[in-house]
Amino acid sequence: MTDGTTPTEIAIDARDLRKDFRLVHAVDGVTMTIPRGEVFGLVGPDGAGKSTLIRMLATVLEPTSGDALVFGKSVVTDPHAVKPRIGYMSQAFSLYGDLTVQENLDFFAELRGVPRRDMASRSERLLEFSGLTEFKKRQAQFLSGGMKQKLALAATLISEPDLLFLDEPTTGVDPVSRREFWKIISGLHRQGITVFVATPYMDEADRCDEIAFMTQGRIILRDTPAGMKQRVPGRVIEVAVSDYRAAMPILHDLACVVSLEVSGEMLRVLVSRDAGACESTLRDALSDAGLTVVHVTPVATDLEMAFATLIPAAGSDLDVSDQQVLAVSE
Amino acid sequence: MLPILLIMPILQLVLFGYVVGSDVRNLDLAVLDQDNSIQSHQVVDAFTSSGYFTVTARPTTDAQLKDDMDGGQAVVAVTIPKGLSDSIAQKRAAQLGIIVDGSDSRTSQVAAGYAAGIISNLSSAFYPTPGAPPGATLSAGVNAQVRVLYNPTMRAVNTMVPALLAFVIMMSTQNLMSQAIVKERERGTLEQLFVTPIGKADYLIGKVLPYAALGVVQVALTFVVGVLWFQVPFNGSLLVIGTGLLLFMLSALGLGMIVSLMSRTRQQAQQTSMFLMMPSMMLSGFMFPIDAFPRWLYFLTFLIPLRYILVIVRSNFLKGSSFMSLWPQFLAMAVFSVGIFLFGLSRFSKRLND
Amino acid sequence: MRRILAIARKEFIHILRDKRLIAVILIMPLVQLFLYAYALSFDVKHLPTATLDLDRSTYSRQYINALQQSNYFTVDKTLGSYADVDPAFQSNADKVVVVVGAGFGDNIAAGRAGDVQILVDGSDSTSAQMGSTYASVLSRIFGGKILVTQVEAKGLNAGAAGGLTASTRTWYNPEGNSAAYFVPGLIVVLVTMITVLQTANTLVKEKEMGTYEQLIVSPIRKIELMVGKIAPWAVMGAMDIVIIAVVGILAFGIPFRGSVWLFAGSSLLYVICTLGLGLIVSARATSVDSANQLAALVSFLPTFMLSGFVFPLSSLPAALQWLSYLFPARYFMVICRTVFLKGGSLAILWPQIAALAIFATVIVVLAASLYRERA
Repeated sequence: MTDGTTPTEIAIDARDLRKDFRLVHAVDGVTMTIPRGEVFGLVGPDGAGKSTLIRMLATVLEPTSGDALVFGKSVVTDPHAVKPRIGYMSQAFSLYGDLTVQENLDFFAELRGVPRRDMASRSERLLEFSGLTEFKKRQAQFLSGGMKQKLALAATLISEPDLLFLDEPTTGVDPVSRREFWKIISGLHRQGITVFVATPYMDEADRCDEIAFMTQGRIILRDTPAGMKQRVPGRVIEVAVSDYRAAMPILHDLACVVSLEVSGEMLRVLVSRDAGACESTLRDALSDAGLTVVHVTPVATDLEMAFATLIPAAGSDLDVSDQQVLAVSE
Repeated sequence: MLPILLIMPILQLVLFGYVVGSDVRNLDLAVLDQDNSIQSHQVVDAFTSSGYFTVTARPTTDAQLKDDMDGGQAVVAVTIPKGLSDSIAQKRAAQLGIIVDGSDSRTSQVAAGYAAGIISNLSSAFYPTPGAPPGATLSAGVNAQVRVLYNPTMRAVNTMVPALLAFVIMMSTQNLMSQAIVKERERGTLEQLFVTPIGKADYLIGKVLPYAALGVVQVALTFVVGVLWFQVPFNGSLLVIGTGLLLFMLSALGLGMIVSLMSRTRQQAQQTSMFLMMPSMMLSGFMFPIDAFPRWLYFLTFLIPLRYILVIVRSNFLKGSSFMSLWPQFLAMAVFSVGIFLFGLSRFSKRLND
Repeated sequence: MRRILAIARKEFIHILRDKRLIAVILIMPLVQLFLYAYALSFDVKHLPTATLDLDRSTYSRQYINALQQSNYFTVDKTLGSYADVDPAFQSNADKVVVVVGAGFGDNIAAGRAGDVQILVDGSDSTSAQMGSTYASVLSRIFGGKILVTQVEAKGLNAGAAGGLTASTRTWYNPEGNSAAYFVPGLIVVLVTMITVLQTANTLVKEKEMGTYEQLIVSPIRKIELMVGKIAPWAVMGAMDIVIIAVVGILAFGIPFRGSVWLFAGSSLLYVICTLGLGLIVSARATSVDSANQLAALVSFLPTFMLSGFVFPLSSLPAALQWLSYLFPARYFMVICRTVFLKGGSLAILWPQIAALAIFATVIVVLAASLYRERA
């Protein structure tokens, strides 16, 4: 609730958070600050520690060491001061299957202390938002995947939290629902709600204000989406050929090519920035090999490529701290 | 989970061994002594030294006595009338009052029996029969000598340990079996398995074997602890009880399958299991003598597999009964076990096929 | 407070939506009640008995007849010789063999004691114990009657010879209605089994469903959660108790001599105890499986064995008696029996009620403190 009473500038202030599960360092020293009102995306491979990090910040999991201040309150020593201001959506469906949509909403509203007079209006608004109004009386277990997630989101929103933790909220959801979901999130953003979301989808990461790459329990890079893309050492050229498998070794050998990856049936080639006429070099090399070139076009760098190139590179220098990362992006 | 499974049989052993067969003794006794003489004190001594009674209340009025009985401070009371010593001195008949708390009919009957015996002895002591040497105790005409065969100490543990061997199988095998199957159904992994080329028979065997093995381990554990620690005598043959127990295990597995078919969640399975087990416990002769049941209930007990295995195990342990003497039970067991198991199997396969 | 109600309401919905559960909770106990109330009694009757009469006199026949007349022994065969005794036992056809010694009749007539051997199959200890007790008692009664006849035959007044007798009265249950003894106890056992299992599952299910984390993130306090979880089940449990009690009273004609309020109040306290016990299991159990096993362990066996349900507590070895003080069932058992059969009042039963109240509070607080608020 952005009511203007001493607004804290920092939503999350994590200080060397660590979580060990037996011998595994799931989260290996995360320090960062997230300003209020931001949509912050956490991106990383499976097992990177994203869920663990989120759960620690949401007071669900106890850190092995370190601390985090959420709106100035410690999750370790003062979790009950944190809980009323946050909402949390886990990866798995975490609502009551045998309760109806309406009952689930009401339950969580009561649980979170939503004022009685506001309950009805809020739940109606949220149901409409999510397109669930006609399913009010249906038991949650009988909803489709997308509807379930929307309901889960509605349940966290009913108490109008200041900070929303979302752990891969759209996994397994159909593309249409995914889009609607993100419309809701942008709406929240406009209301001033801070959103901290882990996502495997690059197009979703693109919509965040800032993103961070996480791997092996550490945050390696942090920047705005645009900033990330600019860090990519090169330009991307999309190549469509008749036989992409044959084309791959040919392109690899070219001097101006840094790396390439396959996207569907096409090749996305990273060429060094100063290689001026790399496109024609590519075209020639391919036709010389007897392959039919359909097109060779420069495209904008996207996060996919950034992810693929930056993580392995930065991963080898694992002592990057938040300060340094911020400094570079400025 | 595993530690629990291993501890449970031992726990049951202790509980059942020490509790179930505990003889009725140390009953709380209230004494209302209105005579307060040497003889009345002798009466009280006779009661306490028997070991059956412990004086817990000494009311001085009838009202107090009633309170003591109402409040449960005493379950038996003996009232000694004023003038007892006089009557004895004058060789006149005298009467003591015995009051028993009838809420527990077993205890009260036994208590009454003990009391009668004590009083009868006291009678001979206070009133030596003319013509008979003083101190001669006649059992009032009939000298009934009781001999307990096969289990002379009448230690209940001796009958409980064999019974527990069967009980342990019932508790774990039947229970766990049903849980395991329902768990897979809950998780949906059951459907997964159908998609694989595993044969139904293989699946079942694979499912059943670990629990059967566990059952064997628990039985062995109970056996060892029972014989070594509780020193239960074993006069029988491992072959006989082994065969019987295996047959019983079949029926337990079958029942477990049937329970799993009837339940959609593990909680239901657990509840159903427990509610099937109680009749087995109560009506099989495990704790309560079947002979005393009303006729219709008596016939019902023939349907309970536990009934037969109990006879087999107890007889073999203590009497060394052989296959020959136990053939009716073995036959019944075989019929039941195979029957239940096959029934369970067929229902199960049918369900799998759906 | 709102949060407690929210949880309670949710739990109620869960219960109502699970039709099977309701059937199990209400119907099963009734079925069990009927079965056991008819079955349970310690009156050993109809013990299959074989007789070996080595005397064959009038007196021996009278004696055997006396045994047969009592309901305790069912004489179903006569044996020819000692050699037949062991086979009779081995075949489990008979539990008792009564051997009347040769010379029994002559001895009795001469004013001496007649000898009888009562052989009992020890492999069934309950029957053995009862059988031997009854046989002794009957023998004594028989002998006493003979004595009186003899004394009178000599022209003496039996009473003049003196003799200590006992007048025995049975209070509270003079007709020896076993149901009156067992039904109150059954209420305790059945209700315990049901309630503990329910709450034992409830927290673990939340973990498995994933809603556990949502509860953590909400501002609800641990104790609120416990109370909210218990409330609906307390109501169901109390209802169950009332139903079983009413059926018991109507169907078996057992008396109810005490105060309904006292009974209702202590039922509620007891149910809170058992539910709390289930919550403790639930708070720490890691899976539904272990929760179930633990619940069974903690509820069924102690209630059955250590509450005085069937086996009088005074007969237990001291160690187990001490143990029984730790289980609320013991106290509620006393309350139930007293309220049904004796009447009882607050003045008499306050120790048990106080014990239950203390237990209830301690258990719920313990459950709350054991509940981990982190995943």
